[in-house]
Amino acid sequence: MKNIRNFALLAILAALSVPLAWSSPATADEYFVYFGTYTGFTFMNEGLPAGGSRSKGIYVSRFKPATGELSKPELAAEIVNPAYLAVHPNQRFLYVATEDPLSLGPDFDHASYLSAFSIDQTTGKLRLLNTLPTGGTSTCYLSIDKTGHYAMMANFGRSSVTVIRINDDGSLGQQTAFMKHIGHGRDASFQDKAHPHSIDVSPDNRYAVVSDLGVDKVFIYKFDAATGKLSPDNPPFVEAEPGGGPRHFVFDAAGKFGYSLHEMSGFVTVMAWDAASGTFTKVQDANTLAPDFIGSNDSAEIAIHPNGKFLYESNRRFRGPDLWGPDSIGVFAIDPVKGTLTEVEQVPPQGTMPRQFAIDPTGGYLFAENELTGNVVLFRIDGSTGRLSPTKTELKIDVPVCIVFVPAHQ
Amino acid sequence: MRRIRFAFCLIFAFGFALLAASSALAQGNDYLVYVGTYTGFRYVHHSMTYGVGESHSKGIYVSRFHADTGELGEPQLAAEMINPSFLTISPNHRYLYAVSEDPLSLGPPLDHASYVSAFAIDSSTGKLRLLNTVPTSGTSTCFISMDKTGKFVLMANFGSGSVSVVRVREDGSLGELASFIQDVGHSVNQFIQTEPHTHSILVSPDNRYAIVSDLGTDKVLIFHFDANTGMLSPPGPPSVSVYPGGGPRHFAFDPAGKFGYQLSEMSGVVDVFAWDPLKGSLTNVQRAQTMPHDFFGINHSGEIEVHPSGKFLYESNRRTPNDTDWGLDTIGVFAIDPMKGTLTLVQASPTGGIMPRSFTVDPSGKYLLAANQISNNVVVYAIDGATGQLSKTGKEIMVDVPVCLKFVPVSH
Repeated sequence: MKNIRNFALLAILAALSVPLAWSSPATADEYFVYFGTYTGFTFMNEGLPAGGSRSKGIYVSRFKPATGELSKPELAAEIVNPAYLAVHPNQRFLYVATEDPLSLGPDFDHASYLSAFSIDQTTGKLRLLNTLPTGGTSTCYLSIDKTGHYAMMANFGRSSVTVIRINDDGSLGQQTAFMKHIGHGRDASFQDKAHPHSIDVSPDNRYAVVSDLGVDKVFIYKFDAATGKLSPDNPPFVEAEPGGGPRHFVFDAAGKFGYSLHEMSGFVTVMAWDAASGTFTKVQDANTLAPDFIGSNDSAEIAIHPNGKFLYESNRRFRGPDLWGPDSIGVFAIDPVKGTLTEVEQVPPQGTMPRQFAIDPTGGYLFAENELTGNVVLFRIDGSTGRLSPTKTELKIDVPVCIVFVPAHQ
Repeated sequence: MRRIRFAFCLIFAFGFALLAASSALAQGNDYLVYVGTYTGFRYVHHSMTYGVGESHSKGIYVSRFHADTGELGEPQLAAEMINPSFLTISPNHRYLYAVSEDPLSLGPPLDHASYVSAFAIDSSTGKLRLLNTVPTSGTSTCFISMDKTGKFVLMANFGSGSVSVVRVREDGSLGELASFIQDVGHSVNQFIQTEPHTHSILVSPDNRYAIVSDLGTDKVLIFHFDANTGMLSPPGPPSVSVYPGGGPRHFAFDPAGKFGYQLSEMSGVVDVFAWDPLKGSLTNVQRAQTMPHDFFGINHSGEIEVHPSGKFLYESNRRTPNDTDWGLDTIGVFAIDPMKGTLTLVQASPTGGIMPRSFTVDPSGKYLLAANQISNNVVVYAIDGATGQLSKTGKEIMVDVPVCLKFVPVSH
């Protein structure tokens, strides 16, 4: 009983300390912008551009939101295939999921590792702390819980999600959770087995939401921030439309609504979130594809503007072999009461295959990352309409696939 | 070589291990015998599970074994735990590690969420004190062993077809995942070989390699093992394949580290390999069939072990004429040719029960304990030191669904 009481006390203290210790990233005059890339696969054989990459790892630029100035990218850390990045809430550590380019096995089933780096907040350089296996293959997503004590990963290849403890010095410790997903979906080419594609904790840190592209489900797990364990919620998942392929998920800033982006269907499913019971109720299926669109769609990234009024999502499209585009970034207005979406515009990303984009913490700019054309384009955001207008600022980075911001010390 | 009986001295200049005769700790003739069990599954629902669903077991049991007389004491509950299906003991005999399959996990049978727990052994009472529990990084984890330094546990995750290595801290508790390898592939058996199903992993006698038996792909994989970091590094030396459909399950080295013996579950074949510790390579020298020519029915070979003298090999066969009848089970006794490593059948002994999934030879080499999973008994057989033959002692204990046996010497 004593242990239980201590645990309860710890849990309360942990819950209280969250908002005190790590408030949402404060706006700063200058940011480091880190770019994750693919550096290449030896055994890649599907004609994807990653094979020709000259990237050497993670790159960093300096960004001034007041002026939109963006410096030339420099190599921040040499590492193979840093495909997904996440920043610790204390802004001192960067975590990177990588796929082993030499690992045996078919595509999308690569040995994968998680590396911890400490951030030099003056130079932006990264210093490796340690590296551990993720516990899965082709790890494609990484997030940190609100306490900064756990790294959570979605392992696309062999259908698992894993949680690894973060030590006080920022290095990685023991694995605290492993969940295997089973099943399949309608699409024979991508849904022959489960493929978890993202994992994020709820705003109150009590649940984790996992998008599974392979089984067309959005899973809800109870997350115990004292132990790092995941356990199935009741009900354990929400079903998406068959063949839709849930990929990425985002909560709104108030924690009232969840938005699930489906890769193949291009749907954004809007759900009301009951934080007390950990349940979703579907509100809207917003189609990001124009009714007359003919071709193949792979929607990729979804994000909400810091002001909570707009939602952005990116669409990679092709109409045949080597016939790319027209890619777009969709801009949607969010109904403040119902959470529903109304399309504002679809904007060309000024490149091909916008796998990722990110809005800077001040909300002034959107960085669009085009994987195939190897460019990062800066868009100005109109804070009242959400509309995007391209600036002349553009970086050349080979196979850019992830972007995160860290305030720079001056 | 799941039990660590030898002190090792690495001679790096030559890269081979020098084996001491016997561990200093194993001089007493009293042992604690830990019994791993299945405590039950809620969602298991097809014929693979036999009586597992009705187990009354509560976890890991411990008995005292007197190697002078063959007396086996009444089992006591050493630690309450769900489905502790495979155990391993640290080289210093102070810690026990157990893997368990979550009985409530979602998913089909043989694909259960799995965990590994560290326990401190109270060497006077035999009781186990839980240190900590972490996920195994795979599903239906069916095997655990330790490296020779006691710094890492190595696990085979049958369900998801992977192997994982977890670091062991100074205090015996489990630390971070040090290595994870996902196997890929399949083989000819449509029921059980559509995916990789890694069934065992153990380090070579010199601690420089790890041998992985994959029942799903019919392959025996060899990895470099780095005892400083716990990393398994593929691609290692070339893997070897068994006869298609064989289903490699467990592997054993002989005490001198010259030969490796691979037991295949479905074919009942023991493949004899010459082990080259410099190259980390296995060369097949014999394919020994453990089944009589006139056997007709279903076989699932279970366990394999080499006698401490290095003169005999034992392997168990769970055999049924059809899906519902039992009783053709055997423990095969083989003489090992000291030069070539090859096997000659000495005896096919009964097991004193049904489904001898596991057995083990006591460290003194005088007795064999057979764990019969269906008949819920652990039966003591005497070993003839000259011929290796097994004979009944009449001694046995009852334990529900016993599936793993490990010895710990009692210090005097």
